[in-house]
Formats: sequence, C-alpha cells, structure tokens
Amino acid sequence: MNEHWPTTDLDPVRRLHVLAAGIRGAHVTEAHVDAPFERVWSLLGDLEGGFGQVVTDMERLRVVRRQGERVEALARSRYGMRARLRGVQRPGWCWLQSRFLLIGVAAAPEGPGTRVAFTGGVRLPSRAALVPLGVRREGGRSVRNLTALL
Amino acid sequence: MPDDRTDDRTAVLVRAAQRGDTLAMAELLDVLAPYVGRVCSAVALDQGADAAQEALVAVFKSLRTLKNPAALHGWVRAIAVREALRTAHRAGRTVPADLSALPARGDPQLSTDIRDVLDRLSPEHRAVLMLRDVEGLDERTAAALLGVRTGTVKSRLHRARDTFRKAWTS
Repeated sequence: MNEHWPTTDLDPVRRLHVLAAGIRGAHVTEAHVDAPFERVWSLLGDLEGGFGQVVTDMERLRVVRRQGERVEALARSRYGMRARLRGVQRPGWCWLQSRFLLIGVAAAPEGPGTRVAFTGGVRLPSRAALVPLGVRREGGRSVRNLTALL
Repeated sequence: MPDDRTDDRTAVLVRAAQRGDTLAMAELLDVLAPYVGRVCSAVALDQGADAAQEALVAVFKSLRTLKNPAALHGWVRAIAVREALRTAHRAGRTVPADLSALPARGDPQLSTDIRDVLDRLSPEHRAVLMLRDVEGLDERTAAALLGVRTGTVKSRLHRARDTFRKAWTS
C-alpha cells in the first residue's frame, strides 16, 4: 500500500539549498523573475549560449560530451583559468564541478514566473568547501544578468 | 530507499561525498530525496516539502560524521522522522489526539483516501504507523527512533493501525 501514502518531491531550488548547506563557504542567491520557467530555462539550459551570458565568471563554455543528463564541458574563467567541468544537467537543474570550480544553477516555476537560485565558487581540495570570497557577488551578478536578458 | 543491489553504489557515493566530491553529493541527494520525501510527507503532510528540505540539510551538513556508510539508511530515517515531527508541531495543526474521535467504520466521511485518514491522526501516530507499516520496523526500533518507551509505541500502534485498517477497508 506504499504507493498510496503521500509523498513529495523537492524542486530544484530546494535541492540547491540542500547541497549548498553541505558545502562550507557556499552561498545561495535566490530570486523570483517575472518570466515563465520555459523562457528562463531556454537561457540557463543553453550551456554554450545563454548560460555563459548569465554566469559570467565562465567564458567560452563548450560541451564536449553528453550522455543522458551527464555533461562534460570545457571552459575558461574570465581570470584565464581553464576548467574541465563535469556534472548533471536537466530541466531546472545544472550542477557542474571541475577540480577547482563549482557551479550550481536551479530554477522552478513559481506562479506565472520562475524562482531561480545560484551557487558556486572556487573549491577547496579534499573537502566540501568553497573559498568564501566573492560567492555572494557572483550570485547577485548572475541574477542581474538573467533579469536583463529576459 | 535503495535496495541491497544499490547499497554498494550508495556507499561509494557517501565516501566520495565525505571527501568533498560535490557531484557525489548531488547524486546522493537524488537517491535520498524520494525516500525522505515519503517519510516526511507521511508525518508532516502539507509541510512535507519543508520537512524534507530541513531533513536533507541536516543530513548533508553532518554527512562527514557518518562513520559507516552501511548505517546511512537508518541514520537518514531518524533525521527525517525527527525533522518531520518538529515541522508538523511547528505548523501547529490541531488534530484529535484521541483516535476514538475518528469516524466509525462505514462512515461516508471515510473514503479510501489514505490522506483523509492521516489527516485525523496526530503527527506521532502517523510516525508510528509509517515506521511500522511502511518501514517495517519493530516496536523496539520504532520506540528508540521516536524517543519513547516500547509500551507507548505498542499502544499507539495498536490504535493507529486498527483505525487505519478500518478506514482503509471500509
């Protein structure tokens, strides 16, 4: 009778908060944008296009492999560092990490608009932690970039 | 929750997540979220999503303290029940603690909707029912998890299951 019991599924924004809570130094920037989810994700889900215009600490992101939800991409940060990002991408969710970088983006419908959330930064080796510098600034910038593009 | 066939994979994910691999953390979240969502919704009902988020935050914040990955399921279950009860009480919904207040068998109010039955139970009764009938725990384990005496769980279980079965089969 298990199938009759109530259940709930965490939306991507809630999931982003959960993972960020487990990463020391991570900060989640969350905002509501006045655009439907499909329009928002058409931008954020386009890793080689709109994604780079929103998450601007990454330049020239190029997808080199994709298998189902799993994705691998090469990128160069605006500070010149090259990165091989690996992760998962699906509607409303993008979680990518390289050896030194972490990028997390989530979106979920909220009324006629969309709730979006960003996290990420420079990873510390051997532990779930980020260098706590600029993590808030980058998130705020991503929200402003997204809003300007919509 | 994963069965034995996926336990090895889950243990690998736990170890990798404890070493700071955030991709492993994300995959582990995919594994745990449906299970925690079920536990929390059965106890916290409308606040199930809030409870599940709180429970998973607690899980990932303290994942490094889990020494044995094989203990993951029980550890997560305990956290989920605790957070679900806390969230349900914080929401302050008033429900009859006395199950005799429930409609009798055959009452048209009692449909086959399990949600309708759960709505009439206290969060503790829902927790007891879920732990025993969904999780398959014995009274001793359920009592330890809920922080009450075994006798209390037995009496709660007897009343909750009896009422539940009557409602379910009516």
